[in-house]
Amino acid sequence: MHSAAQASNGYEGDITMPHTRSASSQNAFFSPQSAFYSPSSQQTIPTNQVASSMELLSNNPFFNVGIKAVGDSMKDITGKTVNMLPNEMKKSLSSIKDYFAVDQIYVMKKLSLLLFPFRPRNWSVGYSADGPVPPRVDTNAPDYYIPLMSVMTYVLVAGLVLGTQNRFTPEQLGMHASSALVWNIIEIGLLCLTFYILNIQSKLRTLDLIAYCGYKYVGMIAALSSYLATHSLFVYRCSLLYVSISLSYFLIKCLRLKILPDTSGSHTYNANGNARRVYLLLAIVLIQPLFIWYLTRHLIVT
Amino acid sequence: MVFTLYSLIEAALLGVNAVAILNEQRFLSKLTGGGGGQQGYPGATGYVDDMQNAGGVKQQLLTLIRSVRTVMRIPLIAFNIIAIIFLILFG
Repeated sequence: MHSAAQASNGYEGDITMPHTRSASSQNAFFSPQSAFYSPSSQQTIPTNQVASSMELLSNNPFFNVGIKAVGDSMKDITGKTVNMLPNEMKKSLSSIKDYFAVDQIYVMKKLSLLLFPFRPRNWSVGYSADGPVPPRVDTNAPDYYIPLMSVMTYVLVAGLVLGTQNRFTPEQLGMHASSALVWNIIEIGLLCLTFYILNIQSKLRTLDLIAYCGYKYVGMIAALSSYLATHSLFVYRCSLLYVSISLSYFLIKCLRLKILPDTSGSHTYNANGNARRVYLLLAIVLIQPLFIWYLTRHLIVT
Repeated sequence: MVFTLYSLIEAALLGVNAVAILNEQRFLSKLTGGGGGQQGYPGATGYVDDMQNAGGVKQQLLTLIRSVRTVMRIPLIAFNIIAIIFLILFG
């Protein structure tokens, strides 16, 4: 099943692209570029030499016909095979992989930074020649691993809290997960819309914004687990306050360099643009504690 | 609080419908009157970068609304038909 999934993933050629690249990296006949094309486009290489997984399927005549049809449809009038993905999407898909390049030291540092950002330190993000630096190298870079894991942990901790109150059913887990996803989508959509409407061009990319908006789930988990441990409303409110303050401080320090105008740069921004940027930064930073409070308050009962 | 993905899709569909229904003549050109007047002003103070404030909020909003309408006219018909069929079948 796994080999069949791999082979069939190769013919889709779009979102599952990293899969084929890693799977076929051992194989000499696949280069990263050719992972995008359907294998029948390589007219000099017969299909049963390409990958061992395909040997199982190439004996099936229907499969061969299907592959030939897909390959023919991907050719334009000159007969060359057309690349299915536009270049920009390829670049952003490969840069998503950068966001997952974390190691344990980075995760530990980042988590301690989220919960205690008050020590004086340097907050600037390092840049390499071809764009942002992966998080493994630079502690200040945003990543996707922590937000993803903390969303899942949030769903589980919410289930735990409901369980201690005897309100738990298995569909609550699914509901929490989908509502967290929906609120995230709404929040990021609104922020991108605001960036566009106020006509602010900043160094902050959309992918970075998604990462920064995901860091609030760490705070939510901290507040919820403090409530779980002590069952007292006072402790919950204190931890909520502390988490909100530290998250706001963290976000201000991180986003300040990216959204606010660079005083040493060559651009001169008019006063109107400056005020908008400050307001937008404040809005981003104030939305997060609101979300933390709103997404945890239904779990607290007393 | 209980937000499913389906309700998000529903809300998005209704919102895009609302944007598509806006009457060009009565409503949008009235808005442009206010937005267009703002365009003439910035030349007086001589601020440096024209691209930074090229829109103003109103212009950007109007551009956004117009482009959404142009792009989504035809797909909206399809989405609405699908939504109607789903609601009839599944309540």
